[in-house]
Amino acid sequence: MLNPLRRRSPLDLPPVAKLVAYALLVGWAFVVLFPLYWLLVTSFKLPIQVEGGPRYIPFVDFQPTLENWRYIFVDLRSDTLRPYLNTVVVGLTSSVLALALGASAAYALVRFQYRPRVGVIGLFVGCLVGVALATGFGVPLPVSIASAVAIFAILVATIARRFRRRLGNADVAFWLISQRILPPVAVVIPIYVFFQRLGLLDTWQALIITYVATNLPIVVWLMRDYFSTVPLELEESAAVDGASPYRIFRSIVLPVSAPGLVATFLFVLVFAWNEYLLALFLSSARAQTLPLTVAAQNATRGPQWWYMSVLILIMIIPVILVAIALERYISRGVLVGAVKG
Amino acid sequence: MVSRFRSIAAAIVPMLVLVACNSSASPSPSSASPSAAAGSAPAGSAPAASAGGGGQAFNGVEVNVLTFTGPQIAEPLQRHAPEFAKQTGAKINVVTVPFSDLYQKVLTDISTGTNSYQAFVFDPQWMGDFVTPGYLADLTDKVTNDPVIKWDDIGPFFRDFSATYQGKVYAIPLDGDFHMVYYRSDLLAKDGLKPPATWDDYLSIAQKYDGQDLNGDGTPDYGSCISKKRNAQAYWFITSIAGGYIQTQGTGQGAFFSTDDMKPLIQNDAFAAALDVYKKTTDFGPEDELNEDVGATRGNFVTGRCALSMDWGDIGTLAIDPAQSKVQDKVGAVILPGSKNVLDRATGKLVACDATTCPNAIDGINHAPFASFGGWSGAVNAKVDQKVQDAAYAFLAYVSAPEQSNVDVTIGKTGFNPYRTSQFTDTSVWLKAGMSEQAAKDYLGAIQASLQSPNMILDLRIPKTQQYQQVVLDTAVSQFLAGEIDRDTAMKQISDGWEEITNTEGRDAQLAAYKASLGVQR
Amino acid sequence: MESSASSSPLDPRGPALPTGPGLLDTTVPGGVVERRRVGFEAILAPRNVFLWPALLVVLALSIFPLFVSLYLSLSRLQFTANGIDIRFIGPSNYQVLLFGSEQVHLIGLLKEPTALGWAVFVGVAAVVGWAFWRAIRGGTAGFGLVLRGLGGIALLSLTWIVVHTIFATGGRPGTLLVTLTYVFVGLVVQYALGLGLATLATLRLPGRRFFRVVFLLPMMITPVGVGYLFQMLTDTGKGPLLPLFQAFGLYHFTWTTDPWLARVAVMVGDIWQWTPFLFIVLLAALEGQDQEVLEAAHVDGASRWQAFRHITIPAILPVSTTVILIRMIEAFKIVDLPNILTNGGPGTATESVTLQAFFDWRTQALGRSAALAYVLLILVTVIATAYVNLVRRRVAAS
Repeated sequence: MLNPLRRRSPLDLPPVAKLVAYALLVGWAFVVLFPLYWLLVTSFKLPIQVEGGPRYIPFVDFQPTLENWRYIFVDLRSDTLRPYLNTVVVGLTSSVLALALGASAAYALVRFQYRPRVGVIGLFVGCLVGVALATGFGVPLPVSIASAVAIFAILVATIARRFRRRLGNADVAFWLISQRILPPVAVVIPIYVFFQRLGLLDTWQALIITYVATNLPIVVWLMRDYFSTVPLELEESAAVDGASPYRIFRSIVLPVSAPGLVATFLFVLVFAWNEYLLALFLSSARAQTLPLTVAAQNATRGPQWWYMSVLILIMIIPVILVAIALERYISRGVLVGAVKG
Repeated sequence: MVSRFRSIAAAIVPMLVLVACNSSASPSPSSASPSAAAGSAPAGSAPAASAGGGGQAFNGVEVNVLTFTGPQIAEPLQRHAPEFAKQTGAKINVVTVPFSDLYQKVLTDISTGTNSYQAFVFDPQWMGDFVTPGYLADLTDKVTNDPVIKWDDIGPFFRDFSATYQGKVYAIPLDGDFHMVYYRSDLLAKDGLKPPATWDDYLSIAQKYDGQDLNGDGTPDYGSCISKKRNAQAYWFITSIAGGYIQTQGTGQGAFFSTDDMKPLIQNDAFAAALDVYKKTTDFGPEDELNEDVGATRGNFVTGRCALSMDWGDIGTLAIDPAQSKVQDKVGAVILPGSKNVLDRATGKLVACDATTCPNAIDGINHAPFASFGGWSGAVNAKVDQKVQDAAYAFLAYVSAPEQSNVDVTIGKTGFNPYRTSQFTDTSVWLKAGMSEQAAKDYLGAIQASLQSPNMILDLRIPKTQQYQQVVLDTAVSQFLAGEIDRDTAMKQISDGWEEITNTEGRDAQLAAYKASLGVQR
Repeated sequence: MESSASSSPLDPRGPALPTGPGLLDTTVPGGVVERRRVGFEAILAPRNVFLWPALLVVLALSIFPLFVSLYLSLSRLQFTANGIDIRFIGPSNYQVLLFGSEQVHLIGLLKEPTALGWAVFVGVAAVVGWAFWRAIRGGTAGFGLVLRGLGGIALLSLTWIVVHTIFATGGRPGTLLVTLTYVFVGLVVQYALGLGLATLATLRLPGRRFFRVVFLLPMMITPVGVGYLFQMLTDTGKGPLLPLFQAFGLYHFTWTTDPWLARVAVMVGDIWQWTPFLFIVLLAALEGQDQEVLEAAHVDGASRWQAFRHITIPAILPVSTTVILIRMIEAFKIVDLPNILTNGGPGTATESVTLQAFFDWRTQALGRSAALAYVLLILVTVIATAYVNLVRRRVAAS
């Protein structure tokens, strides 16, 4: 990417400014890395070395030991590896799904115009509430869903014409992000009961579906911005050439917004990877994930820093690897050449 | 590729939902749990035998035991599971969750009918919330005739109070929990001091040693380390201090409410004195003490940074572990300090101890050791098949049996503290574990004195216990210690808060529950 | 050629769609983006296939919990042998929270304000009144005016609470104000840091890739882990920062006994953890800028600062507004850090609204917990709506 014949560009700095910038970068890198170094060092300490006062450098201040790592990987072998596997599967699957569904929805909200009628939405919600009430009174679920669908269809066909007031794309988007406002503690028991009725407790599916649903709003909001910066000329020229919307989306829009996609994917992965409360309740014996194991290290003896450090470190390693692998896509350069000509 | 993915996803998701909807109509006790074949009758199994019966009595039965992540408590369970499996053929899965969420998990699991767990190792204080809705199995008949568990060997307090509710046995004790005061025996011996017998003694000893270097590392150390962190254990420690002032006539008198009308025993001089003592110990403690939970104070004590501390039995076994302790053989334990002035419940004032006011006094001082938390116990889910219940009970009895328990209580890592009479009489097990003769005599003596005291305080075990203690009491104490509110406001806040809960739940019902939890039935 | 980036995605009228032969033109024959479809085929039009899968997934898991929570907040729960008994008690939970025994916990200890406090209140009231008057003069009417009025009332109520707790002798802020402090202070610092770091990371400096990956790290640690990590770091007995405190002569330093210092500790942890979120979004936005425009400006002699102010900032404004909104909504739910660092202490100083709801939930006061969640929901919805409207006006005006 470095062209030896490049002109001086705005990104080149005079030496003094370069030094200052570099110093700032190193400073913040230290702020970030020191706590992680402390985690690393603590994972090699015995309890007595942690409780006695701060010790910084292995072999100099204290004798490091592999005891904690051995305990986590050998003594607790399956109790560590099973949650690890669950976290990887659930995290990756839900992130990919959320990205796929969310990016599509974001594209739709940017390129198409939706004008849902307020009245129709009200009817829809009313029918949903009706389904819930009916099920609560003992009506079997398929029956209540079928009748609600029928009632909704009839009502829409007949009186929907009366409803004038319409909403816009931004309202749909606002509704999506407002799903993130309620803290998980308020929804955890209803979601638990929901999956219990479906027989999906303690499975990967329950966690994946939940994480996709909770992270979709973020994907939609972030990708809307990135998609709206894609120059329209690209899409229009492809449309004139006869490409379908799906083709345009896949071959033009997505590659051009790669930086945004990568950033969003990392977020969603992090959110799903690290989530605690819903994972705690939707799993019982088989589907437990690593955040539970980390939190569990605080028991009646007080937080067991030494085990916790090991667990936290092994938790972030895969995510770091993914970030390193994907980081290059955030760089400039993917856009070069796209708009020329 | 993305669009194909997308369209596939769009097609699959609704199908999944519909399929799943059709497959399960209403939840039945074990149908919603794919994790264990619990409750399914095994093919070709021997007829149900009582616990300890010979042969593969529970062949094919699978039991999920829920507790919190260890190694405390979970490790001995996990260790005994394969032994039990070899004996009886039952498969025991020990499932663990974070400690702070154990209560919620158990409650949600049973109350929604999921029943993924068939047994629990839990805090007997929760019996107040679990027995009334009928979640726990009645084990009275099982324990009375069981040769394995040796029920009469269990200390009378745990047998008659901790394990029972409204006269029936619902929990198998695995561990004995109560508070004691620990002191640096080397320091007190050097200065010719006796271990504290009253809270005034405690404060003066703490003051003496505060600021001195107690572990030879050059930095000043502290006189007293007691946990004061919010939402941690402070609400037990305040009762430990207040108990000696409030309860004098034996366990049945109770230390939380009046057994006449359920009025809180808070707004009186006794509780005020206790609050003052609790706050005063902060002067002699670490700077961070208001943010330290019992794990931190324990750590401080065993690395030699405190002269005094108050804790469950853990410090005793932690102190002999070289990976954790710098004070091996320098630790002594004593029954909770008491008071020479006790509460007159009629007037709310403190009166001096004499034969009537303090019938259980030792040397003129009223001690009321507090069995805080109760001691981890095992219980059986009443909503699962009888065969599974039997297997679960048999496993818990096996773990509690003297053959296993007497060894486990000497190992600090297990988190099990002594609760059986046979565990005090034989010091050889403790010596083998690494305690010196003197330390063992000290430690066991303190435990025995506490356990055999007729004035032991039973922890609160009525419905909504958590709200009384964790929400109202703990918040007010924490605010008081932080200086957010003064002492009288704190007492009023606790009293009002408790009255609010009592009135909401129904005063008569709560009073009946309180009296029932205090009554001993044989 | 119009660009579609001219209006913010927050515009409730929808993004400015291009006119002329283009995406939505249904008269161009053959393979333009969207053919006119009728009946059943209309369901499979691209506009539906793109959007509805996502909407369905979110709907499936959002409606049910929302209504159940609402119902729970108006009831009391009992656990009985037959399951969970839910008894409807009306707004009693809300009454307890806002006016009853939990008022001091949630709102704060209200006392007589000082003179400064009254000055602040009068000042804010004046600003609100002036803005309202300007809105009327500017022609807003009907529903819009009502919304503005409600917003003004909300702002005044908050100011009233602030003045009676913080600017009053003997007053003490409750979890509501503490949460607001966490959110807004945290947001300002995180945005400034994120933008600064993102700008630095786009420069051509050696080791750039290393810094980019390193700066992402804090966000990747599970929040529970960050809580324990900071508990370790801030421990004045065995934490690594002890020599630092000692070097400053604060030998017996403790931050846990002072309410504001403890809150600062929570905010430091929160900032450390979430700055990467803003960093990476702003980095992607900065990287996505049109380099030609920047280079043209440079050729024309604009200084770096001018280019930044007049080209970069407007270019990343849409993304900035979005990420601030997302981060704000997330920040209101802060629970793990205060829970693990101090369990909400000292006293109730570091407790957030979500933590208060969590404590209630954990001790079976499920009705009150749901009521708290709904109070938070209303508050955040009001603030988010106000924010979105403010941004829209700003962007539309520019």
